[in-house]
Amino acid sequence: MQKISVIKLWVAIPYIVLAVFVLPILIVISSIFGEWSENWSHLYDYVLFDYIYNSSVLVIGVLFVAFILGTTSAWLVTNYRFPGKDFLEWALILPLAVPSYILAYTFTGLFDTFGTANIMLRELLNFEEQFSLFPNVRNLSGAIIVFSFTLYPYVYLVTRSAFLNQSQSMLEAGRLLGLNNFQVFYKLGIPIIRPALIGGLMLVAMETLSDFGAVEHFAIQTFTTGIFRTWYGMYDIQTAMQLASMLLIFIGLFVILEKYSREKARYTTKSSTFKPKKVNTLKGQSAFLAFVFCFIPVFIGFILPISELFVWMYSYNMDYFNEKFWETAANTIFLGIISALLCSLFALIINFLIRLDINNLSRVVSSFLSLGYGVPGLILAVGIVQLFVWLDRYFFTGSEIILTGSLIGLIFAYVIKSYALSNSTIESGYERISIVLDESARTLKTGNFRLLSKIHVPLLKTSLLTSTLIVISEVVKELPATLILRPFNFETLAVSTYIYAAEERMIQASAPAIAIVLVGLIPIIILTKMIRSSRIGRQY
Amino acid sequence: MKESVLEIQNLSHSYENGNYILENIDLVLKCGEIISIIGASGCGKTTLLRIIAGLEKQSRGTVEINHSIVSDANFSTPPENRNIGLVVQDRALFPHLTIYENVNFGIRNLSSEIDIPLEYLKLFKVENLSKKYPHEISGGEQQRVALARSMAPNPDILLLDEPFNALDKKLKTELHNETKKIFRKKNSTVIIVSHDIEEAKFFSDKIYKMENGQLTEMSFMTKN
Repeated sequence: MQKISVIKLWVAIPYIVLAVFVLPILIVISSIFGEWSENWSHLYDYVLFDYIYNSSVLVIGVLFVAFILGTTSAWLVTNYRFPGKDFLEWALILPLAVPSYILAYTFTGLFDTFGTANIMLRELLNFEEQFSLFPNVRNLSGAIIVFSFTLYPYVYLVTRSAFLNQSQSMLEAGRLLGLNNFQVFYKLGIPIIRPALIGGLMLVAMETLSDFGAVEHFAIQTFTTGIFRTWYGMYDIQTAMQLASMLLIFIGLFVILEKYSREKARYTTKSSTFKPKKVNTLKGQSAFLAFVFCFIPVFIGFILPISELFVWMYSYNMDYFNEKFWETAANTIFLGIISALLCSLFALIINFLIRLDINNLSRVVSSFLSLGYGVPGLILAVGIVQLFVWLDRYFFTGSEIILTGSLIGLIFAYVIKSYALSNSTIESGYERISIVLDESARTLKTGNFRLLSKIHVPLLKTSLLTSTLIVISEVVKELPATLILRPFNFETLAVSTYIYAAEERMIQASAPAIAIVLVGLIPIIILTKMIRSSRIGRQY
Repeated sequence: MKESVLEIQNLSHSYENGNYILENIDLVLKCGEIISIIGASGCGKTTLLRIIAGLEKQSRGTVEINHSIVSDANFSTPPENRNIGLVVQDRALFPHLTIYENVNFGIRNLSSEIDIPLEYLKLFKVENLSKKYPHEISGGEQQRVALARSMAPNPDILLLDEPFNALDKKLKTELHNETKKIFRKKNSTVIIVSHDIEEAKFFSDKIYKMENGQLTEMSFMTKN
């Protein structure tokens, strides 16, 4: 009898998790059916169209530049050999370690009139103090560059993998039918990987729409800055939630498109005439141009911001390691570890239930839970605050506020946002464990719990560790949700960076910013290892 | 008169598309008896073993082990509660456990004074490998360990699904002789699924042929 109830509890876990995950989002969406305040007329008259225009131009611009950077660099490193190719193949992912808001801070630090780059050039060329060689970056174009150069690796990663799986025979057929190298790229290479490409571009779009730190720093009015200002400027959470719902609808469309494209992506790699890629060697001018094209994104997206951060850190001297920094770092790591353990635990149990195949619903629930990744942190935060205010009011009456402004809200938001990362890691780990092992264990008198603890967990050790590290790095970078949900006077590295940058104290911002980038490098190292061991990647 | 250990009555099994792979199977297996089931690939031999083990559920009919129904159309005892041993062609040794830990995995009699895993490792002449991991030993040795692991918990029935298939001829003959001796010594009740008629003849008291979902006893048996 006890056994049955335990099994039932296990089976119920995905549904309980789903219900808890979905609540804050439902609360935000339900605001559409609530009262529309007078502030809407102000928004409509003055800023709403700016939000729509700026958000749209930003997304379209970023998608275009990220597409060019991601696909071309992926094509070059998978099809050609040129000097620096081995380095660039993994270095092209490095900008993923730099959150957009940190690139934005370093960009202004470099290219403002009194920024490092302008000062250096003025000194070098002996120009007057008013002279500014670089154009102003605090505008939409600057934001497009910032997002494109931090987010293009999403496109690079998926297209590189798709290009690797393209059959050489097909590309050779293209050449025999009269296409030159460039025509093979855009007439064959790109159309065939379209589903994977759309998947990557959708991630870029979602991340761009979700950002708060970079657009706030550049003073560009988008949906996210609008939500923040409506809430903290007008103290109107209802209108903020309604704005958030509009953004959520946009994001929802992207998520659906992304899911649809991924389902189709399955068909692209199945070829009966698969022949591994032949890598052509580029020489002279072509080799130089290929190197320059692939190096520019790495330079702008990683080397430049890191150099600027180190210049700041050098100015800051050893005060870099002050007590406040360590306290902030400890807060961040604590939140990261707790969230990562919870994400990994949920993903482990849910994938285990899927493997047991008790019912197909677990699989559906898991896909739904993964959608949390696409929900902007700001929207989650708004929903969670509302949910916690309600819970505090109805369940903890008479006592102090328990949930609102506590760490629970923060962890809650991180888990919802990062579950998809844990899920994909553990799911692929499970795919590598043969089902025959489960069956052997079963016939050796092994029940569910023993199967999970004695067979699956030890075999998933690497996946669980990877999942934990990836979630930690994601949590460390998350800004908008942390900014809203953190307890009073509680700072994380991202918040600390934001506060210093907002006060234009860039030198002080360098300490937490460098720490964020260093933690962000962890998944990059994991990805690099995976790339090196990938099927065709091993051949060269 | 030996007691029956396994009784299958009127068992049928169909795929989701409605096609029957097993139809009205009846089978009785007595204690200490070794039988073989032979037949072409995909004829349903493995499916029958999986149903007996509880890894799949039949569409119709009953399976009884030691006179208790373990599955019928409405009910199925999970594999871990059937006391059945299973050895498959790819051995399925747990890669993160040592050879000793693999053999010890299914043993629940912790109070036993005898070192049961060691006893079975000795029987199959692999006691010197006890501290190694599966990837550190050869294919033939892995098969010995898989057999030892499945027999160590003292199952009521041992199911072998093409267990010697991946081995070369010399190794196969060697292992055949040793395994058969152990089965007889331990009075094991065994069902072997094979496509090799010579292997079936060597091991079995009875041979059954699986064809078009039907199980029929073959008559040209030579008693070993």
